[in-house]
This record gives sequence, structure tokens and C-alpha cells, in this order.
Amino acid sequence: MSTPREPTGPELERLSRSELVDLGHTLDGIRIVTDEPPPGSSDPRRERRNRRRVTLLLVLSLLAAGAFVGAYLFWPTGYVPPGAPGHTAHLLYTPLLGITFFGAVGALGAAMIVYVRSFYPDEVAVQHLEKGPSAERDRFTAAATFAEAGAHTGFGRRALIRRLGLTGLGVVGILGGLVAIGGLVRNPWKEGGDAPLWTTGWKPVGGETVFLRETTGDPTEIVKIRPEDVDPDGMVTVVPFRESERGDVEALHAAEMAPDNPVMLIRLPPGTRVDHLPRREDLHYGDYYAFSKVCTHLGCPASLYDTRLQVFLCPCHQSQFKITEGARPIFGPAARPLPQLPITVDADGFLVARGDFPDPVGPSFWEIGRGSH
Amino acid sequence: MTRRLRHALLVLAALVAVGGGYALLVPAPQQATAQTGQTQIDQGRALYERACISCHGANLQGAPGRGPGLVGVGDAAVYFQVSTGRMPLARSEDRGYRKDPQPQFDPDTEQGRANLAALGAYIQANGGGPTTPAETGPELIGSDVAHGGELYRLNCASCHHFTGRGGILADGRYPPRLEAATPEQMYTAMLSGPMAMPVFSDRQLTPEEKKDIIAYVLAVRGQNNAPGGFTLGELGPAAEGLVAFVVGLVALVGVAAWIGARS
Repeated sequence: MSTPREPTGPELERLSRSELVDLGHTLDGIRIVTDEPPPGSSDPRRERRNRRRVTLLLVLSLLAAGAFVGAYLFWPTGYVPPGAPGHTAHLLYTPLLGITFFGAVGALGAAMIVYVRSFYPDEVAVQHLEKGPSAERDRFTAAATFAEAGAHTGFGRRALIRRLGLTGLGVVGILGGLVAIGGLVRNPWKEGGDAPLWTTGWKPVGGETVFLRETTGDPTEIVKIRPEDVDPDGMVTVVPFRESERGDVEALHAAEMAPDNPVMLIRLPPGTRVDHLPRREDLHYGDYYAFSKVCTHLGCPASLYDTRLQVFLCPCHQSQFKITEGARPIFGPAARPLPQLPITVDADGFLVARGDFPDPVGPSFWEIGRGSH
Repeated sequence: MTRRLRHALLVLAALVAVGGGYALLVPAPQQATAQTGQTQIDQGRALYERACISCHGANLQGAPGRGPGLVGVGDAAVYFQVSTGRMPLARSEDRGYRKDPQPQFDPDTEQGRANLAALGAYIQANGGGPTTPAETGPELIGSDVAHGGELYRLNCASCHHFTGRGGILADGRYPPRLEAATPEQMYTAMLSGPMAMPVFSDRQLTPEEKKDIIAYVLAVRGQNNAPGGFTLGELGPAAEGLVAFVVGLVALVGVAAWIGARS
């Protein structure tokens, strides 16, 4: 590129705007390849039409924005049940916000695009750029400037202060990271054999009887189960209950909400043959079997009880657990049988748990082979 | 005195006339037309031997590879299976799906109801089992829809979907949609646990709770659950998300093409 002559002050003042632009292009190594006028710029009718279009879109955007603010402030937001007057207006609230907001933003964007496409010239410019690193001269001077700054401020000479300062900065950074991340670190094995991954709400505490309580949708309602409450081929979802929790709404609610508590109590038809898994021969009570509802794959409720095939099906990934083979997985990604709860009947005829699940409930984890429980 | 006596006699005559006329004109209380007792059981046996015997056997013992025994299934199971058209099967298979019931068992006709009752009485007489409720129609619809909804979500939704749109089961089968089920059919299904469905005894879900569940099903299937206009099968967020993804992506590609196009 040829270096243009440096213009003087008075010369610059005399240059027109387009001459100044050209000068700038030359100094920056920019070359205009094509500079077509906008399409149809010679046709005044077309130009008028495009101008009208942009104006219309901008007005539309403003109107929609106003409508959005109006709907947001004044449209009734309370719930109206089906059939009551105002139900349709209630249904329209969210769509109305969406439509007006989309109208405001969409019309503004469309106006910009239409403007650019109808009035901007079709210009292609090419700029010449150097390849590779900066010139040797520039690199040497930059490095020298940096070193000079270190020498002037004394950091270069005072090694002790420099090192202490850098170490301090590092410690502060590590501390900040620890504060941010440390809150996320928990030791799940703190309780040893009683660690949460090994135990559930069915674990006996202080020798108190743990009853099977039906979930009825009302956390304050306490329905204990007797064997005769369930017909053959029947199924009830139960959670643990202790008499000391009677009247304690929070404890009752917590027992229902705990993710590893739900148990499917089923009664097989009389005479059903069950091939028990090892160590599971005496967990059931007659034809009554209690299995964890939590799928051993990823923890969905595997609660689709198919009484014809005698399987539990998990709706998330179609794992199937064969009930007559000890809830062994026979299809799908689950790899472990559903844990079985040991049950029996107490002196008053209520079904009770004889202890916690012998196997850990829910999805498998790295330490599962340790089996410290 | 005679005047008052005459008045009294007139009133008496008028009372006799009105009372006698009422007794003559107003019909006696409707007598149950369906037979009861042994006649009904015999009629049911005749129906059974025409429609069911080839798969379920001459003594309800079932036939290997064709159909299960029916001893102890109860007339609730009969009502559900036959009134929904699942039985008799259209062809030999191990599963029945809802279809129009045979005309002789159509629960919308008096004859059909009588035949269903007779067939049920015959099955009931051989081994007992859960029975069809005495109430019918609106009497089976509970008043606490919200409680019914709770119970439905706890006991039914895992298979039938939370608005009764059906779902999937193992082995290529599926729990039915509840769109066409009548209160009697829902009630007897809960009692008898047809096909793959578990049994919900009256001690597990009381009759009142069953009625509330029925009220909930009728309530959710009756209302417009799709304010957006398209139901997309009413299957929930997966279907809606897929449509939003596909339609939205195509629309975005179209907009990008329009922005980039040279006019």
C-alpha cells in the first residue's frame, strides 16, 4: 500500500465529507468493491411504499406495547373455574400477554429488517490486514515498557514483597473459591451404617412399632391397614407411621413426602407361586408383599401394577419388575430388584413393618457394593 | 242443624270422590319387571350358554388357552366386561378392548340391562364375588370432586393419566382412556379389577370415595382442557414440547431465511 501524504490542518478543513471518508478508508486500508444503491431507489412509488411499511410496523409495535402494559395492569388475573362467568377471560390472560409482547418486539424487529432491506445500499468493502505477529519493533518496546513499570515501582527489586503479595492474592482467591464451593460439599456417609442412602423412614427407632399407613390425600388422616382391607390383586400405597406421630401434622406430612418412603403393598391371589430371591424368603406375610415404589434405575415411581402379567412397570423407561420372582427386573434399564419391606401383623391385626428394607432404596450408587448395613 | 248435616255429607262425598278417583287414576308403584331368584339365574344360564360357554367352560371352570374360570369373579366383573363390549371377544385373544356391546347386552336398553342382570345373577350364584352397586347413574356420582381428584391421582393416574387419557402397559397393551366409561362401568371396574387393573375393595376405597373418583373423571373429561385450541392428545408437556420445538424451529429457520434474503 502506498502511504498517502499527511494532509495539513487547513487542508483537512477544506476537504468535503465524502473526501474525508475516502481518506479514512485509505488510511485504514479499506477498499470499496461494490456500492450499489438500494434496490428500487430510482422508483419513487416503491420508496414511498417501503416507507409506509416501516411506519406501519413501528406504529403497530407501539400499539402492541401499549396493549401489553394495559393487559398486564388491568386484566383480571384471579382463577375462575370452568362454567363460571369470566372463565374465558381468565383463560385468555396468559395468551394475551404473550401475543401483545410478541407483537411489540416482533413488529419492532420486522420494521428494522424492512428498513435495512429497502433503504440500505448494497455495499461490499475489503480491508487489508497484516498477517502474523506484530512488528519486531512493537514487540520489543511493549516488553520493555512492562519491565520498566516493574523497575520503577520497585516490585522488580523487592522480591520478598512481590512474593508475599502474590501469595496473599492466591490465598484470598482460594478462600473465595472454598466459600463458594464448600457449601455444596457434604459427607453422605457421616452417619456410617445409618447414612441416608442406607436407611429410610421405615427404620425402627427406639423399638416403636412402625405401621403401614395408607396415603389418602389428606396428610392428617391416619388409616392403618389390616390384611382384609386389600382384596386379592389389590394394591395400596403405604408410608411409615408411628403412634408417637399421631396429631403431629408436620411429621405425618414429612412421612408422606420423603422420597424413599412409599411402599406398594399388594395382595397376590391365593395360591400364587413366588420364587423368592435369596435372603428374601420370609419378608412377606402370606400373600401380602410390600415393595419399594422407587424404581432402582432412576427413582421414578414404578407403580403401574399389571395384575395379569404380575409385573410392576416403571413409566419413565419401561423397566419391568416380575413380582412372582421377587420383583426382579426382567425388562428395561433397571438392574436391581425392587427392595422388599419385611412385614407382619401385630396383636391388633394391623400390618406393621418388621424393620427397614434390607436393600438400599432407589437408584444405585458407587458405594452400593460396600453394603455396610 | 240439617243444613250443617247436609254440608258435612257433601264434604264427605267430595272427599270420597277425590280419594277414590286418585286411587283409580294414579297407577300402582312400578313392579320390577325383571325376574328375580331362580328364574333370573336360569335366564342368565341360558345367556351364558349362548355367548360365553365356548371360552369359559360349561361349569365356569374356564378352558385352557381360551379363557379363565369365572367362579368367584362376581356380577360386577360381568357388568363391566359385557356392558363395555369387551366380552364376548371379537376374536380369540388374551385381551379385550372396548367396543360396542352386543345388542342383547346394551346397557342403554331395558332388555340389555335385564340380560346383564340375569347373566350377573348366574355368575354370582356360582361362587359369589364383588357385586354391582344398587345405585345407578347420577346416584354413583359423588359430591366432593376435589377429594375424588386426590384419590384419583393417588390410585388411578399412574396408569390412566391424570385426566383419564390412558397410558401404556407392558407387552404392547395399554390402560384404556376413560372418555366413554359410564359411572356404573367405572364403579364395577374398581370393584372387580378387570384385565391388568388392580382390585380396589370397598374397605380400601369406600363406596363414597369411589363415587368421588367417578365425579372427578366426569368433571375432567367434560371440560375444555386445551385453551390453546389444539389438544395434541392431551398427553401433557412431552407432546406439547415436541410440537413447540418442531414448529418453532421451522418458523425460526423461515425468519432467518427472510432476513438474509436479498430483495
